[in-house]
Amino acid sequence: MSREFSPEPQGRSPKRKRSDDYDGARYGDGPDAALSYAYDDDLNSDAENAFQTPDHGSDNEAASPKRRRLERPQKLNYVPHLTLRGHKRGIAAVKFSPDGKWIASCSADSTIKIWNAHTGQLSQTLEGHMAGISTIAWSPDSKVVASGSDDKLIRMWDISTGKSFPIPLQGHHNYVYSLAFSPKGNMLVSGSYDEAVFLWDVRTARVMRSLPAHSDPVSGVDFVRDGTLVASCSSDGLIRIWDASTGQCLKTVVHETQPAVTSVRFSPNGKYVVAATLDSCLRLWDYVEGRCLKTYQGHKNEKYSINACFGKYGVNPATDSGTPKADQDSEQDADPTWAFLACGSEDGEVVLWDVSSKEILQRIPGHEGAVLGVDVESKNQSIVTCGVDKTIRVWRRQTLPPSGDAVTNGNGNGEVAPPVRSEQPSDEEQVKDSDA
Amino acid sequence: MNLPLSDPVLLAQDIPETLTARLRSSGQAVCIRFSHRGDLLASGTAKGTIAIFDLETNGVARKLKGHTSGRTVQSLSWEKSGRYLLSSSIDWKVILWDLKDGSRVRTVNLGAPVYIAELHPSNFNICVAALYEYRPVLADFTDSKKVKQMALPNLPKRAPHEIEGNEKADAKHFTTVAAFTPTGSHIITGTTKGWLNVIDSKTKETVYSNRLCSKPILLIRLSSSGRDLLVNASDTIIRTIKLPDLSDPNLQPDSIRLEVEHKFQDVVNRLSWNHVAFSSNADYVMASTLMNHDIYIWERGHGSLVKILEGPKEELGAVEWHPTRAFVAATGVESGRIYLWSINTPQRWSALAPDFVEVEENVEYIEKEDEFDIHDTAELTKRRLDQEDEDVDVLTVDEEQLEREGRIGKGAGEEFRMPVLLDMGESDSEDEIVAIGTGQFRRKSTAQADELEFVDGDDVADSDIGTNGHAGTKRRRGE
Repeated sequence: MSREFSPEPQGRSPKRKRSDDYDGARYGDGPDAALSYAYDDDLNSDAENAFQTPDHGSDNEAASPKRRRLERPQKLNYVPHLTLRGHKRGIAAVKFSPDGKWIASCSADSTIKIWNAHTGQLSQTLEGHMAGISTIAWSPDSKVVASGSDDKLIRMWDISTGKSFPIPLQGHHNYVYSLAFSPKGNMLVSGSYDEAVFLWDVRTARVMRSLPAHSDPVSGVDFVRDGTLVASCSSDGLIRIWDASTGQCLKTVVHETQPAVTSVRFSPNGKYVVAATLDSCLRLWDYVEGRCLKTYQGHKNEKYSINACFGKYGVNPATDSGTPKADQDSEQDADPTWAFLACGSEDGEVVLWDVSSKEILQRIPGHEGAVLGVDVESKNQSIVTCGVDKTIRVWRRQTLPPSGDAVTNGNGNGEVAPPVRSEQPSDEEQVKDSDA
Repeated sequence: MNLPLSDPVLLAQDIPETLTARLRSSGQAVCIRFSHRGDLLASGTAKGTIAIFDLETNGVARKLKGHTSGRTVQSLSWEKSGRYLLSSSIDWKVILWDLKDGSRVRTVNLGAPVYIAELHPSNFNICVAALYEYRPVLADFTDSKKVKQMALPNLPKRAPHEIEGNEKADAKHFTTVAAFTPTGSHIITGTTKGWLNVIDSKTKETVYSNRLCSKPILLIRLSSSGRDLLVNASDTIIRTIKLPDLSDPNLQPDSIRLEVEHKFQDVVNRLSWNHVAFSSNADYVMASTLMNHDIYIWERGHGSLVKILEGPKEELGAVEWHPTRAFVAATGVESGRIYLWSINTPQRWSALAPDFVEVEENVEYIEKEDEFDIHDTAELTKRRLDQEDEDVDVLTVDEEQLEREGRIGKGAGEEFRMPVLLDMGESDSEDEIVAIGTGQFRRKSTAQADELEFVDGDDVADSDIGTNGHAGTKRRRGE
């Protein structure tokens, strides 16, 4: 059964159903949330024909590709791919390695686990911290993980051996709460409950600069793409931008109601920052002008430090996950891409917004309790999430037909498959349990 | 990406002001060179080791050992992407290093102590070297088994009748310095008798010669455009010379004229200059002085002295200007430390809160008519959210920015990222092991790290050894 839910639905036609009874009632957010997709085994042969013969089906299917490439999908379809179990307490952060091969997770049980991102197999359990771990960061070469713990230390781990480097980064006077590597991997920035931001020389494990950053715990830090700027945020409501080479504060942005900021991230092009605040909002700031450009709402975030993350999406899911048409493969690179934001919610969902329109692209239910960490991997179009329910979940994007009509016409079959009920994922998806 | 937030006044400043940092020493540095991108600084020591400094952290990124221990490293030359580095030493060897793993790609024995060796600007398998009392050499080590060494002429180009009767003098006429033009089409050399020779790197013949002075030429440097030449000679005069476009195929060798543009000298104190360098855009010329602690900076527009950089209380040897920024590095002759000068950036108070503004004088505040009106906050929020309708592109990176990062444009090429070694143990030199043994210098500094001064326990170990090794080699070139 699990193979049917692997990310390659070759030959299976994604089906779409507007299930206004159960799902609509459950998520209660209008038609946006009431969409789900399924693959019907019985339709197997028909569906294959539909994809392999280019002239098969109605004009609708044949005429649409050109136009469809230019139109932004109104919805995304991330489906459960893996569930990783093994941590004994809530999981604070989860990150894909930059090369996409690994997933690192850290938990209140003082361990870090490294998972194979494709199979979900547990590769390493890194033990050494004396208290819960709030944050992890991958080095750009995907060989080293840095972790920040409540034991005030930052440790660097070699993931090939599972051992930590002998000298920990020592200097914070309180819990280490957030970490980020510089793009070259030679510096590390850390934010702590001691209200300071430290810049570390990774090679010597020494503090290079200590920035007198905030008047409350520093909840988030990030490096910009070229490594010249550092962003920090704090529950004092401020987001500060620092010059990494001089250590001077270059800009401070704050929302007028000063809600506590729990996470800050630079946009992929480095021009903006997105900040999560405890008034259940994500805000996109132009930090040069100090102006809030967008406010994203629809999730619940009042208590936990929840990370937001940028991702990008094209018209179709990644080629390797089964876009069947050959002519589309060749033009895959030229396809326009748009950016989305992913953020966990305290009601157990992960919410995806389109950055420009602020529309919700998908709500992914799955976790019980707050979703604390989310990370997006663009190449395989995967999302990984973790939460207080001690599980890590990996989601993969699946094909989304342009409209319900096209699907029915496309496979020449009026039947509608029953929706997959995502509240019972353990039956269908691959479940990895490291304790087993 | 910090440019839009930086103070334009500071950005416009193009010469460094003050001594801002000292690099954690890793032996007695005698020659230094910035990588083309400016993020790394290579330093060669009097004891034959080479250290690569990361200028973002001011820490050692890699150590290279291969030259005969105790023999001074004479010159360093970077390949464009920053992956390969050529070093030369008085142990007769030039070594091409691969910084990806710190290995030696080629080790070539040139048969004589090397004054200076420089890589071809676009082909890192070719280098030119000036040798002690020998002819300069163009070495091609494309083939790992058989290195081609081609001797270049020492003697200037002269009419046949001038050669007669000069044989005796010619026997003692040697090249002290050689440099490639930015296209690599020509090599410019300087000789012990003050001649400047332009050698075609294909035919290996001197196409033009000019005598600048009667004393030996110590150093030749070319600006990045290749149109300006900076010559330090032992007659205490620094000359800048405008070069014709040597890569122009229509250029007639006979029409080349090398005219001295400026002569910089200290007429009062008759200072001589240890080392000279152009600024990044060649608008300035700087020099470190013999028996003096200062760096002199002249601008080339009028040829006037604009700045004397004061530094530590010791004589400075090699000086280098950062390829893009107002940032200068120099080595101390006695201690072998590397000192850095740049611009001080004061904290702007207006950056600390969004409503702070820096004003020249007092401003009388005039309250707006509706400033304290009470509005329905829900209504305001809704209106504001509705106004957030502009298109935002968070993915596309400006071309300008990509060019600065060296991904497109003229600096583009294969991107090389220096691997970050977390366990410097494998590349540690002996003097650092001593430092760990003698005290907890490094450990102590982690807690209360000073922002500018980098604690250097490492050079304590070798401060009493061979302080005059560097001075000796430098002087020898002047004789």
